[in-house]
Amino acid sequence: MGSPAGGSPFSSVVKRPMEPKPENYSTINLRLTVESDRLSLFSSLLGQGFTLKVRTGCSLRELLCEQLGVHADYVDQRIQTIFLDGKTVDDVDTAVIRQESTLALSAAMPGLAGATLRRGGAYAAMRRQISHQNTAGHNSVADGVVMLKLFNLVALELGPGFLKQGIWIRGKHMENFFKKVPDYFWPGCRAAEIDGTPLKVEEIGRLEWRHRQVFLKLEFKESG
Amino acid sequence: MDKLLRIDMGMDGGPKASEEPLGDYAGLAGRGMTSAIIAKEVPPLCHPLGKDNKLVIAPGLLSGSHAAQSGRVSVGCKSPLTGGIKEANSGGQGAQVIARLGYAAIVLEGKPGDDTLYKVVINKDGVEITPDNSLKMMGNYDLIDKIRETYGDKVACISIGPAGEMKMAAASVAFTDMEQRPTRHAGRGGVGAVMGTKGIKVIVLDDTGMPTRSPKDPEKFKAANKAFVQGLKKHPITGEGLPSFGTNILTNVINEAGALPTHNFKTGRFDGAGNISGETQSEIMKARGGMVAHGCHKGCVIRCSGIYNDKDGNFVTKRPEYETVWAHGGNCGIDDMDTIAELDRMDDDYGLDTIEMGAAIGVAMEAGLAEFGDAEAAVNLLKEVGKGSPLGRIIGNGAAVTGKVFGVERVPVVKGQALPAYDPRSVQGMGVTYATTTMGADHTAGYAVTANVLNVGGSVDPLNPEGQVELSRNLQIATAAIDATGMCLFIAFAILDQPETFEALVDMIGAFTGQNLTADDVTELGKTILTFERDFNSRAGFTQKDDRLPDFFKEEPLPPHNVTFDVKDEDLDRVFNW
Repeated sequence: MGSPAGGSPFSSVVKRPMEPKPENYSTINLRLTVESDRLSLFSSLLGQGFTLKVRTGCSLRELLCEQLGVHADYVDQRIQTIFLDGKTVDDVDTAVIRQESTLALSAAMPGLAGATLRRGGAYAAMRRQISHQNTAGHNSVADGVVMLKLFNLVALELGPGFLKQGIWIRGKHMENFFKKVPDYFWPGCRAAEIDGTPLKVEEIGRLEWRHRQVFLKLEFKESG
Repeated sequence: MDKLLRIDMGMDGGPKASEEPLGDYAGLAGRGMTSAIIAKEVPPLCHPLGKDNKLVIAPGLLSGSHAAQSGRVSVGCKSPLTGGIKEANSGGQGAQVIARLGYAAIVLEGKPGDDTLYKVVINKDGVEITPDNSLKMMGNYDLIDKIRETYGDKVACISIGPAGEMKMAAASVAFTDMEQRPTRHAGRGGVGAVMGTKGIKVIVLDDTGMPTRSPKDPEKFKAANKAFVQGLKKHPITGEGLPSFGTNILTNVINEAGALPTHNFKTGRFDGAGNISGETQSEIMKARGGMVAHGCHKGCVIRCSGIYNDKDGNFVTKRPEYETVWAHGGNCGIDDMDTIAELDRMDDDYGLDTIEMGAAIGVAMEAGLAEFGDAEAAVNLLKEVGKGSPLGRIIGNGAAVTGKVFGVERVPVVKGQALPAYDPRSVQGMGVTYATTTMGADHTAGYAVTANVLNVGGSVDPLNPEGQVELSRNLQIATAAIDATGMCLFIAFAILDQPETFEALVDMIGAFTGQNLTADDVTELGKTILTFERDFNSRAGFTQKDDRLPDFFKEEPLPPHNVTFDVKDEDLDRVFNW
């Protein structure tokens, strides 16, 4: 399900700049051209989190639908488990995004724990100690940075859109990705470019990424 | 499914099998059957490894039919781990085949006079019990290979590994899957040790020539089953999430919630969670030619299992479940998926509960026997269990024994059974169930099943902080009833969210049994089962003091949310007030 209607989970093309300006890090631009059947391999990376420049002080719904262009139906129907700074969100209209918030998005989860964590679920009382408290009404809108984590089906469905735009990720996560990615990733990675300079694909796995902030942008090619 | 098969291993002149009508047990199945027999026939104060204990293996109400998801089997006894009543639940082929052979339960009772090991073969012609000491201390995988040589690849097997023979309190009973591998286990509570005391290594089940069980109203049943399957397939959890990522889809989410017990319950977040998440696991499995969506028994349409291969594409184990990945992973600080798969394979081969083993190794690490994160040490500790060395026998008897022997205070157990993969400080409602369930800490005892749909015990305001006691009660009642049907608990999400799917389930049961099932009937069944179990435990010496979490959950704040378990004892004592 790309969206509840079966199409794209994005209602509009996001035009605002995705890049924050990380401080105290050396930065690197990595552009990869990968076959589309390798895209799911990036799910683990999206689950580690990436940073976005956004307007903070707004509701979670505004961030997702208006700033990031996610379809409202997708937010209401598909994104069933949400964490804001590790706290379980029940109401996307009253939860407010703050500077440097960490936001994690997931589909509905199995098990009693999954049902308990589901937003607005019948079992919300069972995790009240970690429920996000509503914060609407006392906010000032400002430019800021948030970390976004995408899990499971949501990573598969929203991930490609963000990867196409480009995401900022921590170098240690990039390094771990290249270290652990299954071998079949490499034949499907058709081209690589660092800071505008092409390099051989097999070399990117050998580079030192740990102390960098990486801007990763993907171009997709049909498989085969 | 209108008779009981009793196998008395303690008869003069050798083991003897006999069949009898169901009598007072008519209409019962699954956990309803196992708990009724244990409560009625087993002296609560008997030694769990003695002649008076019984091991009851009961398929579900719809097992052996064409009903989707009806392949769960219950295994019951007095638990060597908890000292109370036990029902451990498994998938695999066992339930379907036992039911087609016509048995509502197989009851193993008595105790042989010597250490001879037996093999039991059950087919349409009857029951054959033969001594076979060549099977002694054989791992489940080698055992099943040997059985296949004699009986072919169509039979289903119920077996124990070396852990069961050594009567370890964490020993499981294995059930073969569709590929005839011993990957499915009734894991919890040491049921494998009780099978070991009966001197039975393996039960070979051959349903050749036996018909699929027929419903009373075939047309209605067929239509209801079709609607039920459609409901499962269209729901995002049963139709998409579980087939894509298995139950390990939970690792990232529970970690983000700060509820993933890490380093023996010291923190709620594990830095290496991303390396062992369901997302990562699925990519590894795909890359190695494994299978991402696969059922554990015929008739499964959810297919949350899978095939995990090594780097060369050779089978290692089935897809390790979330609880296994947590137990051997985050709980022990291990973030290597291949190591976790290896440990899972070893657990299945030795015949051990993965949750109890991960928890016990975590306690051993806390005691200083190994460093958290030392994967090689974890493998070596588990090998000790398989060998039955003194250290291995300590760990193989579970987290509580391991903690006691090595002087560890932070031992995550209730009634002697290790807590599963959700820290009760973050998800306190689960802590209520862990504390009060008749089974010892058990994440499946109060599943998110149809409590609200059934309105079991009255409606509950989910925003009321005190509501978690009521929720836990309702969930435990509903779960006990579902366990009696033999339906996979994962149907819960579809029937919880989709009234028409719940209706299809009720219609399917009604069409099969010829009885109209109401929500009140289900509620009464759940309460009856829990009453049996509570009564047994009470007579076995359990009191309210046993319905508690260990003190450290109340005293040690759990990072990152720094919360403690704050449900009051008097509230825990209200759970079974109905």
